[in-house]
Amino acid sequence: MDLSLVLNTFMLLTLATLSTPILFPLLSNNLKNTPETITNTVKASFLISLVPMTIYIYSGTESLTSLWEWKFIMTFKIPISLKMDFYSLTFFPIALFVSWSILQFATWYMAADPYITKFFTYLLFFLIAMLILIIANNLFILFIGWEGVGIMSFLLISWWHGRAEANTAALQAVLYNRIGDVGLILCMAWLASATNTWEIQQLPTSPQTPTLPLLGLILAATGKSAQFGLHPWLPAAMEGPTPVSALLHSSTMVVAGIFLLIRTHPLFNNNQTALTLCLCLGALSTLFAATCALTQNDIKKIIAFSTSSQLGLMMVTIGLNLPELAFLHISTHAFFKAMLFLCSGSIIHNLNGEQDIRKMGGIQKMLPTTTACLTIGNLALMGTPFLAGFYSKDQIIESLNTSYLNTWALLLTLLATSFTAVYTIRMTMLVQTGFVRIPPLTPMNENNPAVTSPITRLALGSITAGFLITSFTIPTKTPPTTMPLSIKMTALVVTALGIFLALEISKMAQTLILKKQTPLSNFSVSLGYFNPLTHRLSMTNSLKGGQNIASHLIDLSWYKMLGPEGLASLQLKATKTATPLHSGLIKAYLGSFALSILIILMSSY
Amino acid sequence: MNLARLMAAPGALGGGSAGGQGRAPSRHSPRGGRPAEPGAMAAYLTHQQKVLRLYKKSLRHLESWCIHRDKYRYYACLLRDRFDKNKDVKDMVKATELLRAGEEEFWANQHPQPYIFADSPGGIAYERYEMYKLPEWCLDFWHPSEKAMYPDYFAKREQWKKLQRESWEREVKQLQEETPSDGPKTEALPPARKEGHLPPMWWHHVTRPREQPM
Repeated sequence: MDLSLVLNTFMLLTLATLSTPILFPLLSNNLKNTPETITNTVKASFLISLVPMTIYIYSGTESLTSLWEWKFIMTFKIPISLKMDFYSLTFFPIALFVSWSILQFATWYMAADPYITKFFTYLLFFLIAMLILIIANNLFILFIGWEGVGIMSFLLISWWHGRAEANTAALQAVLYNRIGDVGLILCMAWLASATNTWEIQQLPTSPQTPTLPLLGLILAATGKSAQFGLHPWLPAAMEGPTPVSALLHSSTMVVAGIFLLIRTHPLFNNNQTALTLCLCLGALSTLFAATCALTQNDIKKIIAFSTSSQLGLMMVTIGLNLPELAFLHISTHAFFKAMLFLCSGSIIHNLNGEQDIRKMGGIQKMLPTTTACLTIGNLALMGTPFLAGFYSKDQIIESLNTSYLNTWALLLTLLATSFTAVYTIRMTMLVQTGFVRIPPLTPMNENNPAVTSPITRLALGSITAGFLITSFTIPTKTPPTTMPLSIKMTALVVTALGIFLALEISKMAQTLILKKQTPLSNFSVSLGYFNPLTHRLSMTNSLKGGQNIASHLIDLSWYKMLGPEGLASLQLKATKTATPLHSGLIKAYLGSFALSILIILMSSY
Repeated sequence: MNLARLMAAPGALGGGSAGGQGRAPSRHSPRGGRPAEPGAMAAYLTHQQKVLRLYKKSLRHLESWCIHRDKYRYYACLLRDRFDKNKDVKDMVKATELLRAGEEEFWANQHPQPYIFADSPGGIAYERYEMYKLPEWCLDFWHPSEKAMYPDYFAKREQWKKLQRESWEREVKQLQEETPSDGPKTEALPPARKEGHLPPMWWHHVTRPREQPM
């Protein structure tokens, strides 16, 4: 049996299965979609995609498929080429598993929505675009997927488009992503002109690569993966329903930027400037997001900032020249972050739309499965030994500690790791433990299997995924083999310090000390003052400048300087110099006669 | 829909909403008009209203700061005591100065992310279902096959619309007579004054969309 044929067939079958809910209703009036059919389609796709992954694990078969070519320019080939390598073969089942769980959860969460089928269709479109992005071997196909996920993100964030904040948030997402797209297009343009190809296989390895296209790629990742500078859209994207936040803005879409950097890694290998930029940008993002998460009171915003922080950590890993480790972190992060969002969605829906953790508390007895899985997810996020997050996060921190790099980036990342522990413990304590602060007479239950099975499935994933992926894959770069015990224990010690700090602060908050505003807490609460500064200040300045150019400058130049007024002023100057000559003195006239005779003599000479 | 109940209860539609708004009966009637209905909002706030608003605001922000209920209750009692100490101040100048000092202290100590209820303006579910709130005249554009799904309603609908058309003139006339010349003083709608008349804007109230979709 030809393994590569089976591999190819099953991968294409996965994509074909996913497109059936879109095509079949167009072909016949009897075949209507329902949320259940779409969920079952994704489940079937997941099971189909397990086959190629198993083939890869046990035989190392990879494949490169090249379909129809767009004969646009004769000298430039743009085929539809799909690459089925480690990254796509592993990420397909993970993305489909997470999506299946989220869709099953959404059948309960969005049950009261009149347009639930449209919602599911949107999520399906998004999933297809994401999978196209993953499987692309060609920057062109990747760009199709890239734009597809951006558009679906816009449509899904503004799902409740009656709400002004949702529309603003969707616009924010689209605009920030568009700024990142400029970087991607810059890189594509350079590649097309310098190397005449967009295939990932044919990327030039450095040292030939100039830094400019790499900066473009980093800009694209900054926009899509919400690094510092283009990050405000991610917390604002929490305006969308919780299944949207779980699927797009935690597991799949936001990792597209990091995935792009992983795919184009050969370009980065020797360019130390680009790698250092990634490192510092990632370190700054992770610390900034962790700082902002410390004082948030909306449970979804806490998890959103946590996502932003982990994305910064992935960028740090790219900066360390370890793309496989970044991919491992993407995979494990997908499980526990989606589970955190689903648990929070269960709590929110049971509390009739209450998202503020100040009005939640003591729900452990009422929602045992949800809170247990919330705890598991939080422990995985903090990097508790032998849960999923440990395998990726601990390795990243070890590599960070044993590399020869910027100490500032190292310190920031360690600080961010401890902050992760702090806000996680704060969230857990305020949401689950302590006395009950929810309104009385809230009938909470998790009797619906549509709620508990996705969450428990993802919990199983959060516990075992790290172990399974690391057991079955061989790393291409050797991990650091020896290090002192203190370096080895750094991540654990820092996390433990964070936990201890959080417990102390919460004990202080329960005793009779009234909090006041301090500069540091104000910085954290107002998200670093970034939003008003950039959204108002720079925008008003550039718009005002544009307005001045459009109205004043053009009018001033064309109608005044180069038009009648300019002409008039020239004339006036000429006449003002010439009129004093008409003074009536004979000497002046004789002088002008002499001057003109002199000029005639000299010109005829 | 009980038409008799609608026509009988005076101000049941409009008056009920305004009754809960004014905390105290307005002692100053609005300038240049007839005295407002008891419990209606006036053009200016009284001192009592301002103090009570400050108290409620500060309690809410205190609740945002003190997450745990026992701690909140302790500080809320202290705050209540601070307000109660100055309860009987008769000198209006001193009372206004105290109020101003209170407002400044509130501004300095407010919470940057106060707790806002989900359906209140500024909350996370505010206007969330606005997109599903369609006006009732869309029902006229339904396809007959869709209308056949709700035969009972559409059988009676034409009669209700006829009633609405007939009473519209009378409602407009009543509102025009009863509104003072420089504009209405409150948002409350008056009840039906005569026997056999319907309260003004009853159709808009009865056909208002649901708060949350089905």
